[in-house]
Amino acid sequence: MIAYFVRRLLYAIPILLGVNVLTFALFFLVNTPDDMARMQLGNRRVTQEAIEQWKADRGYNRPVFWHAAQAGSAKLTDTLFFDSTQRLFTFDFGKSDAGRDISEDLRQRMWPSLVIALPSLLLGLGCALSAALVFAWLAGSRLDFWGGVICVGMMSISGLFYIIGGQWLLAKLWRIAPISGYGDGLEVARFVLLPVLVSVLAGLGGMVRWYRALLLEELGKDYVRTARAKGLPDGLVMWAHVLRNALIPVLTGVVVLLPSLFMGALITEAFFAIPGLGSYTIEALQAQDFAAVRVMVFLGSLLYIVGLLLTDLSYVLVDPRVRLE
Amino acid sequence: MTPVFLLTDLALWGVLTLAAAYAWSARRALHLRAPWQRVRQQPVAMAAAVILLLHVGVALLDSIHFLPTEAAGKDATREPLSLLDLAVTPLREGTETSYSAPFALVAFDRESRLQPDGSMRREFPRLVHGGAHLQDDSARGVDILKRGALGAAGGVLLGLLLTQLLWPGWWRARADDRAATAAAVTLLAVGALVGALGVLALRYHVFGTDKVGTDVLYQSLKSIRTGLLIGTLTTLITLPFALALGIAAGYWRGLVDDIVQYLYTTLASIPGVLLVAASALLLDAAMTRHAEAFTSIVVRSDLRLLALCAILGITSWTGLCRLLRAEALKLRESEFVRAAEALGVRGVTILWRHLLPNVMHIVIIATVLDFSGLVLAEAALTYIDIGVDPGMESWGNMINAARLELARQPAVWWSLAAALVWMFGLVLAANLFADAVRAAFDPRARDALATSTTPEPNARD
Amino acid sequence: MTDPLLRIENLTVGFGGTPAIDDLSLTLARGETLVLAGESGSGKSLTALSVVRLLPPAARVTHGRVLLAGEDLFRLTEREMSRVRGARIGYVFQEPQVALNPVMTVGDQIGEVLGWHLGLRGRVRQQRVVDALAAVGIPDPERRAGEYPHQFSGGMKQRAMLAIALAAEPDLLIADEPTTALDVTVQAQVLALLKAEQARRGMGMLFITHDLGVAYAVADRLAVMQAGKVVETAAREQFYREPQHPYSQALFAALPRLEPRAAAPVIDGAPLLEVRELKVHFPIKRGIFRRTVDQMKAVDGVSLDVRRGETLAIVGESGSGKTTMGRGILRLLPLTAGQVLHQGEDLATLDREALRRRRRQLQMIFQDPYAAMNPRLQVSEILQEGMVAQGVGGDRAAREARVAALLEQVGLLPGHARRYPHEFSGGQRQRLCIARALAVEPELIVCDEPTSALDVSVQAQILELLEDLQQRMGLAYVFITHNLGVVARIAHRVAVMHRGKIVEQGAVNEVLFAPQHPYTQTLLAAVPKVGPS
Repeated sequence: MIAYFVRRLLYAIPILLGVNVLTFALFFLVNTPDDMARMQLGNRRVTQEAIEQWKADRGYNRPVFWHAAQAGSAKLTDTLFFDSTQRLFTFDFGKSDAGRDISEDLRQRMWPSLVIALPSLLLGLGCALSAALVFAWLAGSRLDFWGGVICVGMMSISGLFYIIGGQWLLAKLWRIAPISGYGDGLEVARFVLLPVLVSVLAGLGGMVRWYRALLLEELGKDYVRTARAKGLPDGLVMWAHVLRNALIPVLTGVVVLLPSLFMGALITEAFFAIPGLGSYTIEALQAQDFAAVRVMVFLGSLLYIVGLLLTDLSYVLVDPRVRLE
Repeated sequence: MTPVFLLTDLALWGVLTLAAAYAWSARRALHLRAPWQRVRQQPVAMAAAVILLLHVGVALLDSIHFLPTEAAGKDATREPLSLLDLAVTPLREGTETSYSAPFALVAFDRESRLQPDGSMRREFPRLVHGGAHLQDDSARGVDILKRGALGAAGGVLLGLLLTQLLWPGWWRARADDRAATAAAVTLLAVGALVGALGVLALRYHVFGTDKVGTDVLYQSLKSIRTGLLIGTLTTLITLPFALALGIAAGYWRGLVDDIVQYLYTTLASIPGVLLVAASALLLDAAMTRHAEAFTSIVVRSDLRLLALCAILGITSWTGLCRLLRAEALKLRESEFVRAAEALGVRGVTILWRHLLPNVMHIVIIATVLDFSGLVLAEAALTYIDIGVDPGMESWGNMINAARLELARQPAVWWSLAAALVWMFGLVLAANLFADAVRAAFDPRARDALATSTTPEPNARD
Repeated sequence: MTDPLLRIENLTVGFGGTPAIDDLSLTLARGETLVLAGESGSGKSLTALSVVRLLPPAARVTHGRVLLAGEDLFRLTEREMSRVRGARIGYVFQEPQVALNPVMTVGDQIGEVLGWHLGLRGRVRQQRVVDALAAVGIPDPERRAGEYPHQFSGGMKQRAMLAIALAAEPDLLIADEPTTALDVTVQAQVLALLKAEQARRGMGMLFITHDLGVAYAVADRLAVMQAGKVVETAAREQFYREPQHPYSQALFAALPRLEPRAAAPVIDGAPLLEVRELKVHFPIKRGIFRRTVDQMKAVDGVSLDVRRGETLAIVGESGSGKTTMGRGILRLLPLTAGQVLHQGEDLATLDREALRRRRRQLQMIFQDPYAAMNPRLQVSEILQEGMVAQGVGGDRAAREARVAALLEQVGLLPGHARRYPHEFSGGQRQRLCIARALAVEPELIVCDEPTSALDVSVQAQILELLEDLQQRMGLAYVFITHNLGVVARIAHRVAVMHRGKIVEQGAVNEVLFAPQHPYTQTLLAAVPKVGPS
């Protein structure tokens, strides 16, 4: 099994390389380093020398992919791409184009993202699963029918409504939580309440329906009939048999998301002015800060791949039938 | 009047043609006809379908553009108009100066007005078009009721006429065709609503006006086309990639599979928003460089919309591709594929004749499901400036513009409410319809079809 | 006379239309085995499910009673019924693969019954679990109790199912086709186990099967079902000597008997297809770099030949490699080594296009007629596909005429060309598959268990059709099957496969009735006899 994971990690390397190539290509199709310099330096009356200095400081005075003037392997290695890729793989993130230390920013800003994303996930999972259990248990009844109606309704409401409505109701009308922003220490709880609530509600409808469908599918399987033929009452069948089987896809579906929690939900952070990694990414994009953007893309991809690996691992732990070669 | 052919117009009519072609082929192919007939028998689905079709109708009306020959007042800027614009001219031209509440008679903000006696007073100015016909302001309530009732009655009549056209002899229909009854009832209800709104809109700003005085109802109507385009065109662009790559990877495995898997893992690992944002910025840069090519705001925002659909389509094919690959992997082990191989049928022919039709149910379900997701996503994307051009009417733009105004005291809520409620209506209808489609195309229902029919008594055994 | 253990009175169950079970009445005495025999669709499984009230949700009991030791089961509440299931009635299902919970250990699944019905816990319960596994003949029961179902073989899974069903010492055991999914040697063991347990505990057993041989091995009395009704009830010996009802008689007539064919012709002549030392190995890869560490030898050095107009049967149990070999002969899989000579050329070395054209002469029909045709194509398109791919049959009009002719040849009507596969029964679909293979005018057809998924009466008709076609067109068949009765009926020569190798081959009368190899002998001994020999 160790062999499997090592192999998968090795396979991640070409993917991360590909991601980096794509990022570079997209970015440099839009901008030249001169444009970037001008934007960072303020766009007004900047001299060509200042631009050249800015570029040299950051290594943008080299060609992107291919240095024709150099000899031998330096054609490939004395390029922006090679240098940056090397640094990314060694997690040497350096400074953003605006001059800030990226690693430091990451360390600071990942906690706010996590503080919102993790409770949202866990709370959402708990509520959705409980509701789905109730509906699956009572499948076909009126409660189930109206529950289904409510779920479709909730799914059809735009996330923006939950955000704006939530801000209106809880912040403006009832004054329980602040509209946006982020605090320190224990104050965080007040600021986090609204975003978490909004995130959970926005996703609840879809999750409940999905879990309910999973549970019903398990209920239709033959081993459930065997369990009932053994004389076990329906409650015990649901709890000891169905749930354990249904949890497998639920769990693996959740695990794949875990690493990406660090990246933060971009929209939520933007609306609630949370200084997390999501808003960091947006800000970098809007400022066209290439150094920061490529780090965020790299990290995002890495975390996604880690998520895939964790999914495989959780399959092995949870499903006795799975053996990884 | 010279016709103007916007790219998105062509695209929308193209989608319609494709849908019609699909419907035509579905009538002959049993495996397509049966599931769609099951959908036809669901009352909820049919009611939702009525609402969806009405929206499609509005969008199509809004997709026939032309340049008005006489420049009169607002048209002096030579912006192309659509048939819808023509149809709701009173709404379009009845603008105010700034905000006004729904059914209001006065503007929302006070203005300084010179009084006859020479002093300045801050008061609410009377609206130019909203409620301008009223002699007596206190009669507003009664006037609204009267006009509303008249409009509703007219709408119901129109609805009945339509019902008679589409379903002749409906009054003789059996009570147990619940689906058709539901559709008819929905049509009449919507007819009443549309009728009432239509008549009232002639004299009032039913949903109020926005910051520059544009009627909000007009904005909502125009937004339908945007939402619909994003919902359908994106998926259409996704399809060729996802289909071709997915089933090729699943069937041939080996190197082809490795390449496709590499492609979609790489693409999927980049956070979607980032890809869209980067591509949108790219597009912006390209467009600013060629700014002279765009004859009008409409043409430019049209191109931006098309490009947004393309970007969304190209960045989101990975999900569907993965599903199709998994299904193709399963199908290639099935005996009818092996039988085709044993007969010496070529690989590509097998893909086309055996794999493709047997994965179409996934494609249909995904298409219908993604529609609502995309409509909702547009609003979110517009917020972070990577959505639709601000010059184009869309629900995202309406929400974005109105969001900040909520903090005012008293709040300006009607633009936001109109957009959210209208989006909710359309997305809900789409979701309900999608549910019925998914249930009808479920493979388990298909297999029931395979084993439940009673065999023929004539041939031996 | 003592009260019967189980009495079913006038049971009628339906799904809304015609009843699936129609006014059915049965009795079962203590210690007796009643076999409920019939073909698919007869309602026998449904009857068994009615007894334990586990009918599918769409089914409705419109009439009748089920009495267990005099107590009307239909009048019990669900809670009371759950006390009856498992404790007084044990149930063994057909497919052990899916009937056991895949994420729970076997020991826990047995222990559950003990905990719920007998209130046992802890060490006492664990001991009983181990004892239960030992009693059904599972070796090393302590270790096995902690294992999961997928770690058990098919036969062992069924033994485990039996252990679960018997754990709470029920009075009645219902076994629904318990050995149908098992190999014939394993089947013999499980049947013996069932009879032994029944005798030991003095249980009544309601045994459902479609196989008259299996029925003979276990029955005290038989009830034959057709279309929801019981058409005949009799004691075993009497039934097998003289079945009364025409349907029972038809069942017997259709059964392929393991008897020597009177005048089994010997076909001579040059071989049409020669297979030499064929090997099909699947590599097992381990390690970081997926190095091949071992080979799974599905087909390990098989040599045989087939002459024009003859039927060579390949017999073996599951895992013997016979299906892999059937596909390998036609090179539908990559071949590891060996030669397959046809018309002097080795199929293993042909390039893709040449191989594709060669396929015209070497065709295949498959086991599952439901899955072997694309549900979305019309019959006419299905039959024409091969013709188009191979460039035979002329233009569209000529091909359609040929389709009509083919349909008649296989006993269907030309008008069926416009229909879809799901509109036909299993037997008719297999006829369509045969027509599809015939469309390209082959010389040899590999038949991969073509009758295993069909009812016995239909099976006989398909075999007749195949024989008829062979005589008229001089076709050669490589007939893969696990059913020795079918082999006796249709084959000229037979090869017995075991673990990838052929252990014995020769003329059918010799191999089946004077077997040399010990494996062949075991195989033949395990086949249930249909009646006193």
